[in-house]
Amino acid sequence: MSELALVFDGVSYAYEEAPREAVSDISLSISSGEWIGVTGPTNAGKSTLCLLAMGLAPHFFGGRLKGSVLAFGRDSRTVPVIERSSEVGLLFQNPFTQISGARERVDDEVAFGPECHGLSRPEVDMRVEEAMRQVGITHLASRHPLDLSGGQLQRLALAALLAMQPKLLLLDEPTSQLDPAGTAAIFEVLAGLHARGVTIVMVEHRLETLCELCPRIVAMVAGRVLADGPPDDVFNHAAVQDRVGLPVFTRLARDADLPGPWPVRLADSTAAFESPIA
Amino acid sequence: MPEILLQDVRFAYPGGVEVYPEPGLSLSMGEGVTALVGENGAGKTTLTKLMIGLLRPRSGVVEVGGLDVGTVTVAAMAQTVGYSFQNPDDQLFERTVKAEVAFGPRVLKKRSEEIERGVAWALRACGLEGKEDVHPHDLGLSERKWVAIASALAGEPRVMVLDEPTLGQDYPSRQRLARLVEQLGLEGRTVLVVTHDMDFVGEACPTTVVLSHGTVMYAGPTSGAFEDRSMVKEAGLEPPHVTALGRSLGLAESVNEAGFLDAWKVQRS
Repeated sequence: MSELALVFDGVSYAYEEAPREAVSDISLSISSGEWIGVTGPTNAGKSTLCLLAMGLAPHFFGGRLKGSVLAFGRDSRTVPVIERSSEVGLLFQNPFTQISGARERVDDEVAFGPECHGLSRPEVDMRVEEAMRQVGITHLASRHPLDLSGGQLQRLALAALLAMQPKLLLLDEPTSQLDPAGTAAIFEVLAGLHARGVTIVMVEHRLETLCELCPRIVAMVAGRVLADGPPDDVFNHAAVQDRVGLPVFTRLARDADLPGPWPVRLADSTAAFESPIA
Repeated sequence: MPEILLQDVRFAYPGGVEVYPEPGLSLSMGEGVTALVGENGAGKTTLTKLMIGLLRPRSGVVEVGGLDVGTVTVAAMAQTVGYSFQNPDDQLFERTVKAEVAFGPRVLKKRSEEIERGVAWALRACGLEGKEDVHPHDLGLSERKWVAIASALAGEPRVMVLDEPTLGQDYPSRQRLARLVEQLGLEGRTVLVVTHDMDFVGEACPTTVVLSHGTVMYAGPTSGAFEDRSMVKEAGLEPPHVTALGRSLGLAESVNEAGFLDAWKVQRS
């Protein structure tokens, strides 16, 4: 049986002074090496789920946590975030939030995490070079991080994360500011990491992307898990259709009155629309 | 007369290369909703900042709403153009949503009843009713984007520039946004949507401009924007999902869901 990368056991959490819980009664087990997509409407609790997995909630944000969040068997309450960051990496939704502000060159920014962990200079240099190459920002090495475009900054934030070589990646809309070619390149990097056994939890509104990439989808609404399973099951679930929305292929099949279950990916959609009973 | 006109515009950031190569960028846009698309670094955001006077061209002419951007103040431009930043945190600084949305028209010294009307309209259009007294930074990214859009709308400008408005938006929010830009277009305003979201382009923007390496590769109806596959690839774009599905089925080119379903029904019959 594979190791459990992340476990939420009866987790409810409310931010400091917030009148309501941001997530309620979440129980999830994610095995090492899985690639999970998390989706849901605004205020579903997706970003909070990432902050809890990283330990930033409650260590940084305070608030009230019930239940337990375990990454690789260790409870977030007992592990400082700096320690957790050697195993778990979080890419924030807004890359401006990720940048330290303490570094004036892109390559120095990428080196910041490994340096904080006391790695040797040759090790830091090797990781920085590899991470910048992976996300395609080697040519930006000498630029100031705050002079970058939104898309370039998003790549920098991901490179800084990869330089830490985490076993679990928490990605909150990792390509939201990238063009389609840049998006494809980043997903190729993620596929390579996934093939090497890295666990990926990816928050994404683009349901078509999730269905192509993730064998398992967690759909959240109002702080709770509404559905958890393969994309074909999740998006043929009536409550998900009503409250989360549908990939465009699924919506087209529904609107064309094709018989269910409706397809969620391009290839399946082509077959469904070509079917003689369509 | 076009609402947005650029002629031979040249620009370079300090120490940087020319964003728009020789002979410079030329482009005109009329009323209605236009998408501005292209790869990261194509010069899209620079173009929008030139249009609102935040950046000045090295040479060439930029006219928006009949004003020569090179000769009027940013304050004067703000009367004509509403701008919503890619990153809402670059834009929001007031303590409440209402104060944030009212800031622009207040600075423009509009009459109080005009401010009230514009703010109420913008809050309603952006789904922010009931959140007037919330601190913008207590909202999630999606809602902060809406506050930024409402702030741009509140002055009731002739021209709206929305930089990546679908960023962080779920499906219902994207539908709201599509309805909003359609309504603005029907009212005779000019709306420029800078985006990487090709599905939104196909659904909500009748006209598209494709920019690549500072050069206009295409300017015309969105229905034809993805037909030249080598140009689309060169510009780092992917067609909308419906276009890809239609092609795999051998249907007539479509860029939105209604167009796809029509083409599919025609093929079946």
